[in-house]
Amino acid sequence: MGQTIAEKIFSRHNLAQQPVRAGEFIGARIDGAMCHYQFMDIHDLAVEAGFKDGFPRVWNTDRVFLLVDHHQPALSQSYADDNVLIRKEAGRLGIKHFHDAEPGIAHQMMPDYGLVRPGELVVGNDSHTIAYGAINAGSTGITRADMLYVLLFGELWFQVPKSIRVVLEGRQPGYPIAKDIILYLAGQYGDDFAQNMALEFTGSLVPQLSMDSRMCLSTHGVEVAAKLAVFPFDEKTRDYVAARTDKPYEPVAADPDAAYEKEIVVNVDEMPFVVAKPHQFGNVGPVDEVKGIEIDQAQIGSCSNGRFEDIEIAARMLKGRKVAKGVRFIISPSSQQVYLQCLKAGLIETLVESGVHVVTPGCGVCQPKVGFLADGEVCITATTRNFKGRKGSLNAEIYLGGPLTVTAAAVAGKIVDPKEVFDEL
Amino acid sequence: MSFDLNRVIRGRVWKFGDSVDTDSINPFYLYHTMEELKKHTLESFRPEFPKEVQPGDIIVAGRNFGCGSHRPGLVLREVGIAAIVVESASRLFLRNTIALPMPIFVARGISDIVQDAEILEIDYPSNIARNVGTGASVAIPRFPPMIEQIYEYGGLPQLARQRYLAEKAVR
Repeated sequence: MGQTIAEKIFSRHNLAQQPVRAGEFIGARIDGAMCHYQFMDIHDLAVEAGFKDGFPRVWNTDRVFLLVDHHQPALSQSYADDNVLIRKEAGRLGIKHFHDAEPGIAHQMMPDYGLVRPGELVVGNDSHTIAYGAINAGSTGITRADMLYVLLFGELWFQVPKSIRVVLEGRQPGYPIAKDIILYLAGQYGDDFAQNMALEFTGSLVPQLSMDSRMCLSTHGVEVAAKLAVFPFDEKTRDYVAARTDKPYEPVAADPDAAYEKEIVVNVDEMPFVVAKPHQFGNVGPVDEVKGIEIDQAQIGSCSNGRFEDIEIAARMLKGRKVAKGVRFIISPSSQQVYLQCLKAGLIETLVESGVHVVTPGCGVCQPKVGFLADGEVCITATTRNFKGRKGSLNAEIYLGGPLTVTAAAVAGKIVDPKEVFDEL
Repeated sequence: MSFDLNRVIRGRVWKFGDSVDTDSINPFYLYHTMEELKKHTLESFRPEFPKEVQPGDIIVAGRNFGCGSHRPGLVLREVGIAAIVVESASRLFLRNTIALPMPIFVARGISDIVQDAEILEIDYPSNIARNVGTGASVAIPRFPPMIEQIYEYGGLPQLARQRYLAEKAVR
């Protein structure tokens, strides 16, 4: 019997150096550990556990990646104070990859700076660390206590996940649909259908999907409770990685006779535009079901949708149009690199002319630092989550949709099928 | 605070449904101190919870408890929750709660055997959770030895510290 991608990754990293099967509990060797602004919380856990002066070491100064991300620039003095402590610790521990004075989202910067590579096992103390599956890596979020263990020893316990084969069929239209695909899956199969399992994407759509779309899908693996969400390695992956790192790596592919828990087939040609309604990711319906609902705010950004193609489709549709009166349309690129790419392509000018608030790269539009909602307000957003109260008031309503659906709503002032607003589609 | 897996836990039940998220358990970006968090934990699902929860109470919930971010449920331990018993838990919340350590058990069918405010008894050594009033029970699966060890050490940070000291002594 052959192995899934997940079984291969965990076999490769098994401390016992034995091939593994889904279900086994193992100790695994870690290739990379991503920590962000909460690094001092992990430091504090170490102190509580008896390491009086904090971490006595990190296991490998070249494999720990510290990105201040969420909290740069500092949003209050207490964040600024924390950032000073992080800076001191990074220096004391000799951490080589420290991205400090730079706004942006770790999950964009990790692949963009070539810090993660195909076939690796990479962990991070953030749930969306699962994102790097897009470049054929085994990556997943871990807890602060887990990270304490990883930083000391470069090892961690895992249960080898069962795998679900997600077969994506159909044709890529002239706009991104990754968000619609993952929302559709959550709606059809539930927001925990992949609980503790690995998603393996395959099918005729996959070679057509951009790296940006793959990253959206992998990032959102955690919204359907997955441990890994991995794409196969292909020419696009190879080119993407080659442009960012020359360190060697070994891609991973499933065996033809690998055993899957189940197989799910989606034909995107038959898939409508969908949204998640308040207040859960799996509360999904076609846009038509909620069309006409007036909105106060629209957003594009976060580790799921702050990439070039998300912002490009918004700018393309807004060219010569205006955001509806009274609607706040906030867009945040996911990193400085993405921001620059958008600037050079002329997108930012179009957005500002149309009335969009372009805000600093980072997590702020999603884990709210900007754009809080008041009682009774309605927001449609291409970001990660729509939990009750996530953007302030417990009496606000958050809808999730793809960047095209969000842009259409921003122009119309209400939720609407994008094809009704944009004749060119 | 360590937790002895061999101690029987008995407490009043707070019931929750499916997909209770960590934003609700730990809304840290709205409330910045533990004292504030204690006044708001889980209010988006049950506004009375932070006001009325008592030390020793037990949370019983449906599928996917603790979904969302990787934030821990430390605040639940701080308000005195003695154990969490769920149909299923998000893997990050499960890892977090084991690492704290705090008792968390995945017991299929738990929602069917106990109602809000009833008394539940959790007997891990006997692998059973029982409604004290009705006698109805469900099985509690055993943890693998790797996880039992984390509980024995008083949490993953403590286990890490002991391993570090042991390796240093050998060198």
